[in-house]
Amino acid sequence: MRFWRQSIWITIAVLALSGAGAATLTTPHKLVLTGSSTIAPLAVELGRRFESLHPGVRVDVQTGGSSRGINDTRKGVADIGMVSRAMKADEQDLQAFTIALDGVGIIIHASNPVTSLTPQQIADIYTGKIANWQELGGKNARITVVNKAEGRSTLELFLTYFQLKNSDIKPHIVIGDNQQGIKTLAGNSHAVGYVSIGTAEYGAQRGVPIKLLPMDGIAASVANVRNGSYPLSRPLNLVTRMTPTGLVKQFLDFARTEQAHDLVEAQYFVPISID
Amino acid sequence: MYKQIGVTGKPNHLLRDQMIRLLIYLMVLCVSGVFLWILLDLIHGGGALLSWDFLTDVPRDAGRAGGIGSILISTLLVLLIALLVALPVGWATAMLLAEFIPAMSLLGRWVRYSLQVLAGVPSIVFGLFGYAFFSIYLGMGFSILSGGLTLACMLLPILVSTAEAGLRAVPESYRLSAAALGMSRTATLFHLLLPVAAPAWAAGLLLGIGRAAAETAALMFTSGYVDRMPESLLDSGRVLALHIFDLSMNVPGGDAPAYASALVLIILLLVINLIAMQLIHFWQRRKLNTE
Repeated sequence: MRFWRQSIWITIAVLALSGAGAATLTTPHKLVLTGSSTIAPLAVELGRRFESLHPGVRVDVQTGGSSRGINDTRKGVADIGMVSRAMKADEQDLQAFTIALDGVGIIIHASNPVTSLTPQQIADIYTGKIANWQELGGKNARITVVNKAEGRSTLELFLTYFQLKNSDIKPHIVIGDNQQGIKTLAGNSHAVGYVSIGTAEYGAQRGVPIKLLPMDGIAASVANVRNGSYPLSRPLNLVTRMTPTGLVKQFLDFARTEQAHDLVEAQYFVPISID
Repeated sequence: MYKQIGVTGKPNHLLRDQMIRLLIYLMVLCVSGVFLWILLDLIHGGGALLSWDFLTDVPRDAGRAGGIGSILISTLLVLLIALLVALPVGWATAMLLAEFIPAMSLLGRWVRYSLQVLAGVPSIVFGLFGYAFFSIYLGMGFSILSGGLTLACMLLPILVSTAEAGLRAVPESYRLSAAALGMSRTATLFHLLLPVAAPAWAAGLLLGIGRAAAETAALMFTSGYVDRMPESLLDSGRVLALHIFDLSMNVPGGDAPAYASALVLIILLLVINLIAMQLIHFWQRRKLNTE
């Protein structure tokens, strides 16, 4: 019995200590960011560097998707929302600050002989009008259509660009995050999908058997997203409810200066400057 | 009738017995095969990364570099809070249901019914509930405390049903003998029924720990995504399962640390299981032998 009693007391002591810690260590300088899972890893790294530049400040990053970023910012749960697409017409109550660009590219398996697809062909594949690679100059094999899940910013961007409705798309596989798309494509030699270009380039350079197709004749590469020639790209936004002041303003400014560019590039996005 | 019983020793029946035995062994092999496959895959993918530094360092570069020290601490804290809250509530409910009210009473049926409904609720719904209730309404924010309490709600059905079944499996004659010896109901419960039912309770506890440690969806919205070392229970802290999910689905180049983190999670569960089994065994023997 003594052992149990001891362990219970130790637990209570630990809890009491951490409770006391909560009272003394809670800093008034805390920034909460929520939203897009695409931006979240970048925001964590931005936050880490911001913390080291401003001692005593804490930057907490939460994920959950762009729509959550919008909601939490409106409700005041978050100081800054992360939204990985352009703002919509009914979101003009929020202020958006673009910190980086990201391209969306069509990917197929590396062993697939097809080297390019026209926008019309892509639309036909996704609506089921073209079902075999043979019709596109490839092997005689059924096309596996990989689509993104509802609510994903890449899905919205894709639908707008190809003027499709999600209800018209006949997907065989529905995926969530970019990295999951890469893994799905690498494991299925007859599949077609679309993911963030940075993620795809990273994988292709490290031997993952996928290949990025050009869009309207322009190679899908981070370089072409940077120079603006690649047509299918999206802004990565930080949004706030009110005109930013104080710490929020400092963070937003920091995220768009040269100081943050190496962090943006380390997550395979294209940095932009405010000047 | 005699004839039918008499022919059980015939070769075709022996053959059938052998076949069934073989099939059962094959099924067992499949079950352990799946576990071994997963384990070997994890060791192959992440074994090389495992080191003391990996276990103690904080994640860097979105988790591609550095370690999982802060993640481990957050995981253990969330687990600890969930168990500290769920165990007293859950086990007291089980004692009430099995020992203090008739099995078919209105209260008993209601409690059991609500627990069954709770057991069928998907974990993302617990996550949204925890987010709305603990994080927003009670003002805990994204915190380890909020995550632990959300998990506690999820664990209740498992804990109550296994513990109640464990108590019900104790033969009625034990209770009658204790009553005949003049033992009070409480004394019977703590000195006789609980030690006998302990293995069933331990199994429920371990199931609960396993489910809690593997939870991703319910914690994404409550304990959150922050991978810093938690300084208090009101800080947000990322748990291992969420870290693995993020590394493998959201971070390019995160596969190796994801494998290594998954390996750590499995080892952690194995260690917790072994310790819990030993403690229960030890306690049961002391209780039953000396008193």
